[in-house]
Amino acid sequence: MFARLGQSLDPALFWDYRATLLAGLVVNIGIFVASAMLASVLAVAIGVARTSRNRLLRGVSTLYAELFRNTPEYVLLVWAYYVLPLILSRMLAHKLAIGPVPAAILALGFAYSGFMAETVRAGLLAVPRGHREAALALGISHFDILRRIVFPQALRRMLPDALNQYVSLFKATSIVSLISVEDIMYQVSMINVEEMRPLPLYTGAALLYCAIIIVASQTIQALTRNWHRRGWA
Amino acid sequence: MLDNFYRYVVLNAGLLGQGLLVTLQVCVQAFVLGVVLAIAVSLLRVTGRIPRAIGTAYVEFFRATPVLVQLLWVNYVWPDLFGFPTTAMGAGVIALALQTSAYLAETIRAGIEGLPRGQLEAGRAVGMSSLQIVRRIVAPQVALVMAPALISQMAVVIKSSTLVSVIAIPDLMYAALKIVNEWFEPIEVLTSTAFLYFLLIFLISLAANRISDRFRARFGLAV
Repeated sequence: MFARLGQSLDPALFWDYRATLLAGLVVNIGIFVASAMLASVLAVAIGVARTSRNRLLRGVSTLYAELFRNTPEYVLLVWAYYVLPLILSRMLAHKLAIGPVPAAILALGFAYSGFMAETVRAGLLAVPRGHREAALALGISHFDILRRIVFPQALRRMLPDALNQYVSLFKATSIVSLISVEDIMYQVSMINVEEMRPLPLYTGAALLYCAIIIVASQTIQALTRNWHRRGWA
Repeated sequence: MLDNFYRYVVLNAGLLGQGLLVTLQVCVQAFVLGVVLAIAVSLLRVTGRIPRAIGTAYVEFFRATPVLVQLLWVNYVWPDLFGFPTTAMGAGVIALALQTSAYLAETIRAGIEGLPRGQLEAGRAVGMSSLQIVRRIVAPQVALVMAPALISQMAVVIKSSTLVSVIAIPDLMYAALKIVNEWFEPIEVLTSTAFLYFLLIFLISLAANRISDRFRARFGLAV
């Protein structure tokens, strides 16, 4: 088995297609960055809403988080690609198309905003009540309390968890090939159609993802340990 | 819209129902196989230095690769490499089981490391063998910590199982996409499918939280 693996994992195959594979990886990274930004912005808004004293706001934001946390990413992806443009077209009463890349960014961004809202909420709740009360006693406005006292502290607490969510998000970008975004898995499938050599190609893809994710999560672990030592995470 | 709902969802309920059954079948098989593999890997990881390294490499590899990549890898590469699985269904079950086993093995490890060392030393001091210590001291406590984790892993398996439609396993997602491709009316079918998946996963997560709370109240566990 190992001989077979060693035989067919010849680097020349990957070298021949280096430009295509690299272009695919760049697409992955682009979608990752865009959806991570979307997810972060939404997550902060939803996370703050979930700790609000307004019952309606809390209810709606909880519903939002549960909805996106408990729906499979692939289902959201397909929904954003096929259904969302139709619904938007009907609502706006004129024809609208959403390309595969924006659909992928929307689907992954919304899916992960659900997970990350939970991280934000936990971070906000971890700030001692006394800090908030002290700020109120000093006459600082609610918005300023959130911005200058609660949020900076909460951010440090949620950083390790948020970074792990980003790693999961990067892993999830592999599914965008299924709505024909030309990412790395799409390119691997295309090359496979041409070369008919699934063994090296899919093994290579798995190893590539594995390497990227392990390096990222090890870096995060090292950073987190460092932060713990300094006492700010 | 209601008209379309009737035409594409209600009239195709049989097809969707069959898909749901396949989804559940894949998930249950993958889950059971995943639990067995997780226990095997965990035992491997406490037996010695080299087995531990192999077990850790296994866990890290399967945790660090996306489900879709593993699914395609098992489906296209394994038959060539190991001579099995011979069916798409087998590939789907194995890929999901590998993923599950890696996550669960990590939970088991955390459970074991969470046990106070004194308990193991006490077990040794009263003359228990390693097997007895595992069976009587470690396993019952780890099982308690594991119960909620097991249930939430079930939710993860269902989530990942949507991808098996890619290798032509006729699960719920496959049935929904088939209807969409036949009629080009995606709104009602895909929204209903999304809602069905949501409901299934939400209820399982809810059950996991309930059990976690109850265990914490009853056994004083910090899960």
